[in-house]
Amino acid sequence: MSKKGMWSLKLTTASLVLIPAAVAINFIGKSFAGVLKLPLWLDAIGTVLASMLAGPIIGALCGAINNIIYGLTMDPISFVYAITSVAIGLAVGIMAYNGWVSSLWKAFFVGIVVALVSAVVSTPINIGFWKGQTGNIWGDALYAILIAHKNPVWLSSFLDEFVVDLPDKIATVMISYGIFKGLPKKLTVLYSNDNKTETL
Amino acid sequence: MYLNSMSLYQPRQSLIHRIDPISKIFYILAAVAVPFILPTVTVAVICLLVSAVILLLAKVFRKVIPLVGFSMVILLSVVVIQGLFMAENKIPLFRLGPLIFYQEGLSFALGLSLRVLNIISAFAILVLTTKPSDLIESLVRKGLSPKIGYVLSSVLQIIPQMTATMGTIMDAQRSRGMETEGKLAVRLKAFFPLIGPVVMNSLINTRERAMALEVRGFNSPVPKTFLNQEFKSAYSKIIQWTLILIIIMALVWRILGWLK
Repeated sequence: MSKKGMWSLKLTTASLVLIPAAVAINFIGKSFAGVLKLPLWLDAIGTVLASMLAGPIIGALCGAINNIIYGLTMDPISFVYAITSVAIGLAVGIMAYNGWVSSLWKAFFVGIVVALVSAVVSTPINIGFWKGQTGNIWGDALYAILIAHKNPVWLSSFLDEFVVDLPDKIATVMISYGIFKGLPKKLTVLYSNDNKTETL
Repeated sequence: MYLNSMSLYQPRQSLIHRIDPISKIFYILAAVAVPFILPTVTVAVICLLVSAVILLLAKVFRKVIPLVGFSMVILLSVVVIQGLFMAENKIPLFRLGPLIFYQEGLSFALGLSLRVLNIISAFAILVLTTKPSDLIESLVRKGLSPKIGYVLSSVLQIIPQMTATMGTIMDAQRSRGMETEGKLAVRLKAFFPLIGPVVMNSLINTRERAMALEVRGFNSPVPKTFLNQEFKSAYSKIIQWTLILIIIMALVWRILGWLK
């Protein structure tokens, strides 16, 4: 793979139409997690998958558009968290491009990195908006304990977000990895921007 | 009529519905900026009241409740945790069993809640009174790439389609003996046969959609035209400039406050 492909801003039609599909996959993933009463959100599978397929730029766009759509149709606050989704798309896209989605163990590691990235980016937003809380029972319970023991807000807030993000993002990346590996070549060549395949 | 499109839009006949989407975006900017520049409870309450009046005029006031609902859990959690544990807490206000609520934490939580309600109601004016396709079209007119515009409106159409297939997939897999209830491990395992077909389906559709678009000149560099006529109201410019003026006045007020 040539390095110049990763940041190519020339978006092909195939990768552009991948974005709505990815946003819909995010939405469906979240709904299925809800139906099955899983203690995870699993609401970024589409973004992660799109980043694996088409690189960081498309991944970041997916993240941004995902939150814009959520903001317009459900919860206005989610506009602000577009930054987090963009960061997740970028992180997965960059790691995938550098060969980090070739085995389940590597995918596990990518999940940890994504959780870290997500927590680092979300923490300032959480502090600005909610004084560091997340609204998740487990995370906020930990936050309350840490604050009650006079820990700084930024640390409590970071851990509040991170304990929730870690299992969720590891599961998200590993599920996406499983799906990604199962995709037929006929589909994956469409989005890869390594300059070796023909576009439509 | 809008059944096939995911949206919070409430079709009504009102003054607010006739205002263009860009002016509503200006209103959001003002409603977020002014309480940020002048962070007092009075200003926050005034902004909230203005938004409430606009929502009443638009006849969509009750539709704001589900929007606020999304943030209700976290707001309650903020009230409880900051009221009990905020580092700056000094003056006890009241006692609930073994728990002592403090004045500083509660007044902080009140300010925070007002700020959040303010943002939600300002956004609600936009999303409840504007058809998403109108909003996207006016953004494209203002210079947003038509391709991104297409992507945005496409999402709004695809999600309801895919939600409809969710039930079908669920039933199909259940009839093959998939368990969807029980222990966590069982439920987690069920996630794969559910999400798998959705992803495959949507990616295969993507391929076909891409070809269909290419054939119709999606990538053509010729300037795009619009299906609908531009939605212009005579008051747009007045509204937008007034809102900018209000933000500037808030800034001046703040600076004067410093100089005193």
